[in-house]
Amino acid sequence: MIDKYKQAFQEEAREILVELESALLELNERREDKELIGRAFRALHTIKGSGAMFGFDQLAAFTHNLETAFDEVRSGRLAVTPELINLSLAALDHIKAMLEASGAGAADTRGSNEILSKLRELTGAPAAPAAEPAPAAVATPVATGTVRAWRIGLRPGPDFLQNGANPLLLFRELRQLGDLQVRASTTAVPPIKELDPVRCYINWQMSLSTAADPEAVRDVFIFVEDVCELTIGPVSSEAISESPAAIVPVEKQASPGRRASDHGEAASSIRVAAAKLDQLVNLVGELVTVQARLSEIAGRSEDADVLAVSEEIERLTGALRENSMSIRMLPIRGTFERFRRLVHDLARDLHKQVDLTFEGADTELDKTVIDQLTDPLMHLIRNSMDHGIEPPNARQAVGKPATATIHLSARHSGANVLIGVKDDGAGINSEAVRARAVEKGLLAADAVLTEAQLFSLILSPGFSTAKQITDVSGRGVGMDVVRRSVEGLRGTIDIASKSGGGTSVTLRLPLTLAIIDGLLVRVGHARFVLPLANSLECVELTERDIENAHGKPMATVRGELIPYIRISEYFEMNSGRPEREQIMITETEQGQFGLVVDQVLGDHQTVIKNLGRLYRNVQVVSGATILGDGTVALILDPQRLVQDAMRMMAVSRPCAPKVRDRATSASGAG
Amino acid sequence: MPITADQFESLYVLRLQGAVTIDEAAQLKNLLLDGLSSGKNLQLDLRQAALLDITTMQLLWAAHRDAEQSGQALVMLEPVPEQISIVVRQAGFDDSLLTVIPK
Repeated sequence: MIDKYKQAFQEEAREILVELESALLELNERREDKELIGRAFRALHTIKGSGAMFGFDQLAAFTHNLETAFDEVRSGRLAVTPELINLSLAALDHIKAMLEASGAGAADTRGSNEILSKLRELTGAPAAPAAEPAPAAVATPVATGTVRAWRIGLRPGPDFLQNGANPLLLFRELRQLGDLQVRASTTAVPPIKELDPVRCYINWQMSLSTAADPEAVRDVFIFVEDVCELTIGPVSSEAISESPAAIVPVEKQASPGRRASDHGEAASSIRVAAAKLDQLVNLVGELVTVQARLSEIAGRSEDADVLAVSEEIERLTGALRENSMSIRMLPIRGTFERFRRLVHDLARDLHKQVDLTFEGADTELDKTVIDQLTDPLMHLIRNSMDHGIEPPNARQAVGKPATATIHLSARHSGANVLIGVKDDGAGINSEAVRARAVEKGLLAADAVLTEAQLFSLILSPGFSTAKQITDVSGRGVGMDVVRRSVEGLRGTIDIASKSGGGTSVTLRLPLTLAIIDGLLVRVGHARFVLPLANSLECVELTERDIENAHGKPMATVRGELIPYIRISEYFEMNSGRPEREQIMITETEQGQFGLVVDQVLGDHQTVIKNLGRLYRNVQVVSGATILGDGTVALILDPQRLVQDAMRMMAVSRPCAPKVRDRATSASGAG
Repeated sequence: MPITADQFESLYVLRLQGAVTIDEAAQLKNLLLDGLSSGKNLQLDLRQAALLDITTMQLLWAAHRDAEQSGQALVMLEPVPEQISIVVRQAGFDDSLLTVIPK
């Protein structure tokens, strides 16, 4: 039970830490921004409060110090400096580590003391000790104002000491606030025989004269108030008595609700385990497949009732599918924000000045895709920072601003999303890449390649492991990793670069890995699915059109010439050309292209099944789906198909027969 | 070993060394009980002690009171280190915790 709450706290804290991190990094750029300071303070405050509540005492105690520092910042007594930001980031990492150590006391005390002592240096204020060994405290009263006397009563609960509370440290902290008198009351201590050695039977009465405000006095007890009875009240000049009226109970440090004030909608959302969502989508996938079978049967039965029910179920299934997919969609902002820290730290380590800018961070992607995107993006940014971007003086020498920019962008394009990482660094030296590729035997010395093809060589495994790549082109470290991750997501990578003008890497990824809206088409006896999102329109291709084009694969659609690819020819299917063919006009990055099929059968909710490792090199097919009659249809990737066809034309050599054979045999196997 | 006990004919000596804290509380309790039930004079040696926490002070205080009630002698060996006296005072105990109870 308690573990469940702890876990909930951990999850929440992780989210808050992400927000804190981005607030800190933004603060580094806009140091006067009160809103950002407030955000950082609130985040710390929440972590501290909830942490203490769920037994993360060390974490809470540690965070308290940072919170105090930001309180100083908030009140204008402390300025935001790069040192403070860096220290806060280090502290944040430490909080993360403590969080993952699950507050079981396994935290690294030395690390935390180191950070705290630096923090003290910076703020010049005393800080509460993080764990047991308190460093020699500097006794400087916190606030100014008139000195007042307080009467404090402390009655520890049974678990007080076992929870790690130490009255001696509390007294020490109180002494830092002012003059303290402590009296131990031992009347409750039982005979030694009956005494539980780890329980505290002693109560304390204290009187404290301090100029600090009441909040500061209460704050001393903030982490123990759950395990003790505490009374704090002013000693009024006339009432010396111990009248209960003078005793003011300490307010509980309420944990501020999950940033509800910042995001009103947060209150109406619930947290669901990702695994449950995956399961839901799997079930919907099964349902979609079964529904396709039902439609098939209903279509044959000619029973109006069955047909009506089938259509209703189809409609509902579609709605259910869309709904469950949308639950899994997340904006990519969170992933982008995470890189602020990476860029900040790398810039510091590499002595470079880099701004990170975003575009389209609200673009939504399937959670699975987002989760697997972090690694490749990190590699790309690292590469950019390490090799692409020049040091400030080198930049200025060529007339560029000293501060470089890395631009992360995301946008939708049909059923795909395009994630861009663009820098204005030195760019890739294509000659060096070429030389290296020839040297590695990846390229014939006289091969004619477009620049894009040349750059794509960087992604090959041989390049990534080569140490010398840094010397020749300054690119390539980990690019193989990027390629593999992106291909794992059925995505593609495009690299564009201008020597001296920067590099732009675009990852093209499917929006989702589970179910898409497709268009079912027939070519000969085989059926294929085209993603509906890329499909623009369907027109007929007649013998006359073909004659008019003088043998060129071009069709005139409303006065515009559109190139087309005949699927049966591309896959060498020898299915014979029907009298009337249909062209599916699809949108690709190369412009509009037509895909010629025998017949368009209609739309189809497509549950994507992976083809398996054997077909992983078949790039033009992005998966397969099971149709209502139990046969298999391949899902085509028009983008890759067009690219591949263009490549074959450009290189003007016979297209790779292996690919086609595999594709057709897979189709035939269905 | 922060706590060691030695028994002589009419003397039970308990030696506390270094930091004696909650981790040693159970052991200290048992040794104090041993000493109190041995009927011998109790001698506490804190001369090598560096740190006591509340659990230790509480046990010493209880031993003190029990000895007093049973008319047993409890002798504190001098000198008690300065930092021990300070921390005991800071915890709100008076100096009687560290003084001798004669028989």
